[in-house]
Amino acid sequence: MNVWAKTICRLLIALMVWMPYQIATAGMIGTDQVVTSSPQVDRTTVLNFLNRSDVAGQLQTLGIDPSTAKDRVAAMSDQEVQSLAGQISAMPAGGISSGAAVLLIVLIAAAVWWFWQR
Amino acid sequence: MVVLAALSASGRKAWQNARSLAGVFVLLLLCGCASLGPQTATLRETLPSALRERVELTEVPFFPQSEYQCGPAALATALASSGVKVTPEELVPEVYLPERKGSLQIEMLAAARRHGMVSYQLAPRFDDLLREIAAGNPVIVLQNLGFRDGWHYAVAVGYDYDWGKLYLRSGESKRQVMPFLIHEFVWMRSGYWAMVALPPDRIPATADESRWLSAVAALERAGGPRAARTAYQTFLKRWPANVNAAVGLANTHHALGELKEAESVLRHAARENPESVIVLNNLAQTLSDQGRDAEALPVIERAAALGGPFSAAVEDTKRSIQKKLKR
Repeated sequence: MNVWAKTICRLLIALMVWMPYQIATAGMIGTDQVVTSSPQVDRTTVLNFLNRSDVAGQLQTLGIDPSTAKDRVAAMSDQEVQSLAGQISAMPAGGISSGAAVLLIVLIAAAVWWFWQR
Repeated sequence: MVVLAALSASGRKAWQNARSLAGVFVLLLLCGCASLGPQTATLRETLPSALRERVELTEVPFFPQSEYQCGPAALATALASSGVKVTPEELVPEVYLPERKGSLQIEMLAAARRHGMVSYQLAPRFDDLLREIAAGNPVIVLQNLGFRDGWHYAVAVGYDYDWGKLYLRSGESKRQVMPFLIHEFVWMRSGYWAMVALPPDRIPATADESRWLSAVAALERAGGPRAARTAYQTFLKRWPANVNAAVGLANTHHALGELKEAESVLRHAARENPESVIVLNNLAQTLSDQGRDAEALPVIERAAALGGPFSAAVEDTKRSIQKKLKR
């Protein structure tokens, strides 16, 4: 039961995330598909669909509200979504102020400045 | 012996840590430039061709970062220098992740598109970084300033080759001066990650044809067809033979309802690439959308005869054209 509820939820999120792109003009082959030149169009479409909902879900657990998360995923390319899916916690998140690292910088600066000057 | 006995177990561990750290440090110094900064060592030997020795983009604005938010600050710096009116505060909901206290690289690239810019990740080369600066493009770089997790975005805005100095907008300092070697040392740890965000009518100095096309296609998806149309036009001026860019340009025309323009782009592409299934399919669809299904039918039949990975899409187009003809 729980599993089913989960699956349905995922599917709904996926649909929500996916919808805007499907409005794209019918009949035209999209540039995305051409550029990535993936031969298995159907398979990658399904994968993208799942990846996008996965990434949107992860953004939500990291403190982003659902509609903002959706907009943020929408700005990513398929390739980017694929590299983020399931990986967000392992990726670097640039955030520290450079002031916090001044000591390290000064230390190394003193040591290696000399090498460049030589 | 006395010293050792005085050290508690945890103290000993700390001491060992410090000692190994010092060891690593000394080792690095002994190996010198070559291992600390391999690219700096190469750079030192020769100035990459056609580069000025000294460049500083003084007109690039500066947004001092508030706590943890170097991502929004760096992105605002790059966007504002391309003429986008945006503040770091407005970018916080687009790139910042509260639970990670930072911003992901991919989101930095993605957010620039939401403001109509093409974002491009540079090749991991120091001289590409210098080349972009020399071309007038501020470069966002990801550095690691801590021992482990000190990821930090800064914007490189100038360099002085003779002195081996890089100028950055970084954190709270408007003009941080960093020796090449130090910069490489902290930059290397992100795999030399760097990006530029340019308006659609420009191309980065170091752009690679296929990677730049992907960057433009990503803008088409996220930033809307109008900006992407300009980007494709700019692209085709530089690389006129690229059929995928022609498809992209036609798609943006089509999305904007400019069917005549889409048709003429696709007809030209079909003359140059008579075997392209995608071009033929999209041309047939564009003709059909103008109510010219009789003209569209032979085109789509030619596409169907060629087969290939897009044959399912081609069959769909063909069926819809045939249906319209029967009516």
